[in-house]
Amino acid sequence: MLEDFGGELLEWTVIVCLVAVAFSVVILLIRIIIGPTNADRAVALDTMGINLMAFAGLTAIHLVTTKLNDVILLIGILLFIGTIAIAKFIEKGVIIDRNNH
Amino acid sequence: MKNYNDLILRTMTQLIAFILLGFSVYLFFAGHNSPGGGFIGGLMTAAAFILMYITYGFDNMSKVLPINFRAVLTIGLLVATLSGIGAFVFGEPFLTQTFGYFNLPIMGETELATAMIFDLGVYLTVVGVTMTIILTIATDQKEDSQEQAGM
Amino acid sequence: MSNLAVLPIVIPLIASVISAFIPKKLGLSRFIAKLFAIIFLVYAGYLAWVVFTDGIIVMQASGWAAPFGISIVADYLSVTLVLITSILTTAAVFYAPSSLSQLQESYYFYTFMFLMISGVVGAFLTGDLFNLFVFFEVLLMASYGLIVLGGGKVQLRESLKYVLFNVFSSMLFVTTIGFIYASVGTVNMAHLAERIQEAEQAGILTGLAVLLFFVFAIKAAIFPLYYWLPNSYIVPNPVVSALFGALLTKVGIYSILRVFTLIFNHDIGITHEIFTWLAIFTMLFGVIGALSTQNVKLIVTYNIIPAIGFILMGISLYSSAGIEGSVYYLVHDMIIKAALFFLVGALVVAAGTDDLRKMGGLITRYPVLGWLFFIGSLVLAGVPPFSGFIGKILLLRGSLEQEEILLTVAALITSLLILYSMIRIFVRGFWGDTVEGLPEGQNKKVRHLTIPAAVLLAISIFIGIGAEFIYPHVETIANMLLDRAEYINAVLRE
Repeated sequence: MLEDFGGELLEWTVIVCLVAVAFSVVILLIRIIIGPTNADRAVALDTMGINLMAFAGLTAIHLVTTKLNDVILLIGILLFIGTIAIAKFIEKGVIIDRNNH
Repeated sequence: MKNYNDLILRTMTQLIAFILLGFSVYLFFAGHNSPGGGFIGGLMTAAAFILMYITYGFDNMSKVLPINFRAVLTIGLLVATLSGIGAFVFGEPFLTQTFGYFNLPIMGETELATAMIFDLGVYLTVVGVTMTIILTIATDQKEDSQEQAGM
Repeated sequence: MSNLAVLPIVIPLIASVISAFIPKKLGLSRFIAKLFAIIFLVYAGYLAWVVFTDGIIVMQASGWAAPFGISIVADYLSVTLVLITSILTTAAVFYAPSSLSQLQESYYFYTFMFLMISGVVGAFLTGDLFNLFVFFEVLLMASYGLIVLGGGKVQLRESLKYVLFNVFSSMLFVTTIGFIYASVGTVNMAHLAERIQEAEQAGILTGLAVLLFFVFAIKAAIFPLYYWLPNSYIVPNPVVSALFGALLTKVGIYSILRVFTLIFNHDIGITHEIFTWLAIFTMLFGVIGALSTQNVKLIVTYNIIPAIGFILMGISLYSSAGIEGSVYYLVHDMIIKAALFFLVGALVVAAGTDDLRKMGGLITRYPVLGWLFFIGSLVLAGVPPFSGFIGKILLLRGSLEQEEILLTVAALITSLLILYSMIRIFVRGFWGDTVEGLPEGQNKKVRHLTIPAAVLLAISIFIGIGAEFIYPHVETIANMLLDRAEYINAVLRE
């Protein structure tokens, strides 16, 4: 009885979290579109990536699998590099420097 | 452009680039039975290189990493094609793979498959394509800034 | 033995990889391209001979049995088209050095060309719907490389449209395959053909069939989805246009021919009725486009569209005369389109312009080119005894058998208008008053450009005059397409 309750609680939590994450992605999309500055957009994009990681993690719980762990790591890495590239572009206007200064 | 200080980035890159390269090797070998493989491994390696390019700049990196990525791309294609054709020699259908178990020094008993050779081709191709595209865009950007400086 | 079926894909792929190593050494890469094209030609001929004598060859990649693995099926239709493709490749390789500038040639032209050929051949040979998508992507990726070769401003603008259109249709394609897999549970073509006969929800399957047709219609440039084609096909170099016009749209129509004879023929009343109307509109609108312009390249490009209409007409009839006509016309059109694009390329070099109003009197200086162009126009329009005539007579017989009067009339009118649109180039460009200011010293270049076109034209004439020899093979192909059991048994029962 109690085990059953635990399983059901987890199931419901996952679903509620998925809905919340999906909702926050929509809000972030609005932020990316309206801006107002590029820095806002960069932060919103970064957060959207974190939401994607959460999405993958919740799906992994839902499907009871560990195969998605690599995916989470991967999204994290690509996100990190993407954010650095955007940050450097906003700061310097150049992503890969041609000459060492 | 003055006051541009990227000490944090430079320090972190030293660490993270090697974690990325290690992770890419892991992904490449995991590809046989679980998620991973040549494609995503190649993408990770390219990501590590891109991170280093972003941090240290084009000229420094071309001294450290004097690789012609177009050649990497074509070698990868060649390896992948040849691994498929290799089956012809044994009279088997195209792309036929085989595998065996070997005792390797560090890893213990390991399964090695000829599918790995095909995967290696994919790996090299992905690294080559990704780096070629991104560095081509970076080169374009340089010409623009020179034009702007000239004007 | 089964590896025979996969070599036509592998040979161009190897040629592509090798020429990617040596883009700057032009002499060597030309030699390698010619060598591999000839190997490919000889091999394709051998494969066609083997298949027509011994029956269908099936290769199951890695030895995985049919519905689970990847099947490469060399059946009669595929090997015929592979043979034609190899002929066109050889002609293109000999045409390219005179047509392209050295810079364009060294910018991975041969790599992209052979990669595209590999994709085209793969699309012809694959026995798996998902792999058809993969090979479509291969050939499209290479074609993106070819279309921007040289990188002029107009070229980039038109190629952007081309890329967007094709990306959209690829997206739709893979979605449709997903739907098909969800509703039928397989993507192997032979297995699909079996399953669809057993499946009960005919409504969904008809919906999927129309969706799939939509995807192929974009690639094949069928009315009303052809408007991306004319402008994007005239911007690249003539040799690239020839390959595009002769191969890419034909891959689309081949897919329709394959899919709607082998797999989706459970509801002919709906699908093939749609085809009839689309065939009529495709023929008429295409040829009206050809009449509307004074640009010689554009005239030939617009003439791709009615040809697709003729082939679709045969598929819509779904009778033995109709399918025979489609196959005959497909083979004929691939060769003659390439030849005409080559000739128009030479014409543009000779005249120094592609505007018909600024040409005239070229026959005195280039008599061979002029008369070849005249013959090419007759072949295209289907004047007896050339190859277009035999394809058309089969199609018309098929449509009269089923009393499709409107279709017959539309086909006849289109044939006449095609002849008019092509002869207009001949009359205005080659006859008429000699125009001042023709470029000098192009004689040698034009001669080099004319030779491959002349060879293709000779093959095309042979297809017409040697119909006695060709027709039994076409009959075999049509019987296989209509019967299906031979194909299904070859793939699934071995």
